[in-house]
Amino acid sequence: MKSTLLATVCASALVSGAVCAQDLKFAPGEDARFNWASYEDYAAKYNLDGQTLTVFGPWRGEDQALVESMLAYFTAASGVTVKYSSSENYEQQIVIDTQAGSPPDIAVLPQPGLIADLASKGLLTPLGDETQGWLKDNYAAGDSWVSLGTYKGKDGAPALYAFPYKIDVKSLVWYVPENFEDAGYEVPQTMEELKALTEQIVADGGTPWCIGLGSGGATGWPATDWVEDMMLRTASPETYDKWVSNEIPFTDPAVVGAIDEFGWFARNDKFVDGGAAAVATTDFRDSPKGLFASPPKCYMHHQASFIPSFFPEGTKLGVDADFFYMPAYAGKDLGKPVLGAGTLAMITKDGEASRAFIEWLKTPIAHEVWMAQSGFLTPFKAANPEAYGNGALKKQGEILLNSTTFRFDGSDLMPGKIGAGAFWTGMVDYAGGKSAADVAAAVQAEWDAIK
Amino acid sequence: MVTGPKSSFGWVVHLSVVVFVALWMLPTVGLLVSSFRDKDQISVSGWWTALSTSSQNLVFRAPAGDGEEVVNGRYVLKGSVLDGASGQVSAFGFSSREPAAFAPGTVADLKDGVTLTVAGDGAFELSGPASFAEGRGQRIFYTAEVPPRFTLENYRNVLTASGLGRSFLNSMTVAIPSTVIPILIAAFAAYALAWMPFPGRSLMIAAVVGLLVVPLQMSLIPLLKIYNSVGQALGFDPKSYIGIWLAHTGFGLPLAIYLLRNYMAGLPREVMESARLDGATDFQIFTRIVLPLSFPALASFAIFQFLWTWNDLLVALVFLGPQDDKLVLTGRLVNLLGSRGGDWDILAASAFVSIAVPVLVFFAMQKFLVRGLLAGSVKGG
Repeated sequence: MKSTLLATVCASALVSGAVCAQDLKFAPGEDARFNWASYEDYAAKYNLDGQTLTVFGPWRGEDQALVESMLAYFTAASGVTVKYSSSENYEQQIVIDTQAGSPPDIAVLPQPGLIADLASKGLLTPLGDETQGWLKDNYAAGDSWVSLGTYKGKDGAPALYAFPYKIDVKSLVWYVPENFEDAGYEVPQTMEELKALTEQIVADGGTPWCIGLGSGGATGWPATDWVEDMMLRTASPETYDKWVSNEIPFTDPAVVGAIDEFGWFARNDKFVDGGAAAVATTDFRDSPKGLFASPPKCYMHHQASFIPSFFPEGTKLGVDADFFYMPAYAGKDLGKPVLGAGTLAMITKDGEASRAFIEWLKTPIAHEVWMAQSGFLTPFKAANPEAYGNGALKKQGEILLNSTTFRFDGSDLMPGKIGAGAFWTGMVDYAGGKSAADVAAAVQAEWDAIK
Repeated sequence: MVTGPKSSFGWVVHLSVVVFVALWMLPTVGLLVSSFRDKDQISVSGWWTALSTSSQNLVFRAPAGDGEEVVNGRYVLKGSVLDGASGQVSAFGFSSREPAAFAPGTVADLKDGVTLTVAGDGAFELSGPASFAEGRGQRIFYTAEVPPRFTLENYRNVLTASGLGRSFLNSMTVAIPSTVIPILIAAFAAYALAWMPFPGRSLMIAAVVGLLVVPLQMSLIPLLKIYNSVGQALGFDPKSYIGIWLAHTGFGLPLAIYLLRNYMAGLPREVMESARLDGATDFQIFTRIVLPLSFPALASFAIFQFLWTWNDLLVALVFLGPQDDKLVLTGRLVNLLGSRGGDWDILAASAFVSIAVPVLVFFAMQKFLVRGLLAGSVKGG
């Protein structure tokens, strides 16, 4: 009976050109790492044959193949035909589509600032108390995830609108283990050691860091990750939260201090490949390639977990390149903070299939099939960590689970004009030689202007 | 001085034309060269370095034990660092600290009694007391003179991307009607505005000129709202080909009417008056006289409109949507770039793939383009 179900789903999927259920990457029931019981339970509970669900997300290219491999399981289990789409300017596209009244059923977005905007216009459907309780109980550090997905609606009342799914860890430093071995360097365990290592490499005649802020219209964003990471290592998480919501101004000593911490690394000609002047002009996608040059152009690169896709072809993680946790100061009692980012799923058009999809994201299998491939981390406690497709992912998963503090990328939480505008350009100015106080004052002035 | 001053001036003109053409073409040539280069090379060195033999510092990882032999009690691993490619090794080393410490042919002592030698032709020999099967394979750093190397891989990646043929058809389905419909409407309108006196005619012309400056981005949301409500009332999907044809028609009409009216207004009045004396109606004058005479202007507008609709991404995404079965060529190529972009290999190759059709259209109709560009600017021309 199951096979006929799959066949009909597949036939209807072929007609519409959508994901075909036969493309299941891992045969159901076979690999013990996967929670197939959750898949079977879900399939038994939902029978929505013939329904269609449009999903709009930020993943394109290889990432699109990954998300579609996950969606294929949803199709096979629920009978819903899924049409996934994305576009380069998905931020604008989702605004146009929701405001004009032709939204997709489900939207997945990485910017909480944008989601807050959509929620305040009444364009999203609340996910309800049951989902809120589920997140709290089943995600590691559940409260912080609930607050991440909670926004003020059109009526001004806060409610859970977005479901966090797929997390990136940002507090990572990438390096080539063999280059460290050749030079006799050890992976630093504290920020003090990291700074000492930086000076040591310079003393040995090398260049410690590759830093590139270039990213077309978004130039400057990699520096915001640096500053946020430094902020979490020099100030309390509460200060971080206040900074993000502008309860303390950008010109607060804590913020200016964090910017200058970044400047310690980036504004020293000897610390950065190409000199400090090259920081703002080097493209962030080309920057890590210096690690692999001969002789190495640099020894370390600070970037989120996605960066291996820009390593030279054939680079094996764990062998040719590896990463370590961006350490915290031993002298400051701030624990092990982790900065991250992620995507959140929300219902833009309510319906049976949309609700079923959110329920699907609560099954371990929806996480495990993506974990087993690449580029996917989850704080979902019931998802089997053994399912992670490679050692690097598993290690990142551990960093995520071992963190004492998890904070979402601050620039994504700030209003778009600041987090995706003034903050970026401010960091480019800072890399160009402007003082941290001037940069902070300029950003705060813009923030005051939009209040 | 047989040639005289006039022809020496001609020389200067020709020379500067050559210089300007070269300057103008340089970015395109660079993109073309890049499109045939290897993905990793593009990001490491400039396209001009790809044209001649260059000295490069490279890294080769010896296989971990695969193919090793035991000779005189020592494990020996042989192979070539160039791995089949041509080139000449000028130096080698085993540590990232000193990647060019040894001249080719000399023997380098690694730790634990392991020795390494690399010959000028790239052949290496790694020898040691223990098997190399443990560990991850020795890194061999070498400096080599590498001849230019080109690949068709980028084009293969783009052309074999799934759904590309479909998107090609989608783009055609969008672009051709979006070119024909506005021309049909604009030709009638232009004739009326040029040759049929009626009250408020000048005001209408002024309004059309005024519409030229309305940025289309401003009208996207309101227009889509209207589509959605009409679609709901009539019970069909508002995001369809008819929708995008109408949108492109609307966005293209002001320029089309303006261009064609100015051209038609410049046609000789006597021809139309004598035709009217012979009893021709306005419709007959339009189809028999004005349309054939306006052909250069029609053709040039057709080229403009076709290029614009073919290259458009924004309008197609808004009015047709990003769904797989409706995605236009520009959208498909952008999606190939991945979530974070920056794949120069795909970008360069896909630029030339998407350029193919517009170039064909241009060469087929280029003699009208220059004539049409002057449309309206030279009165009675």
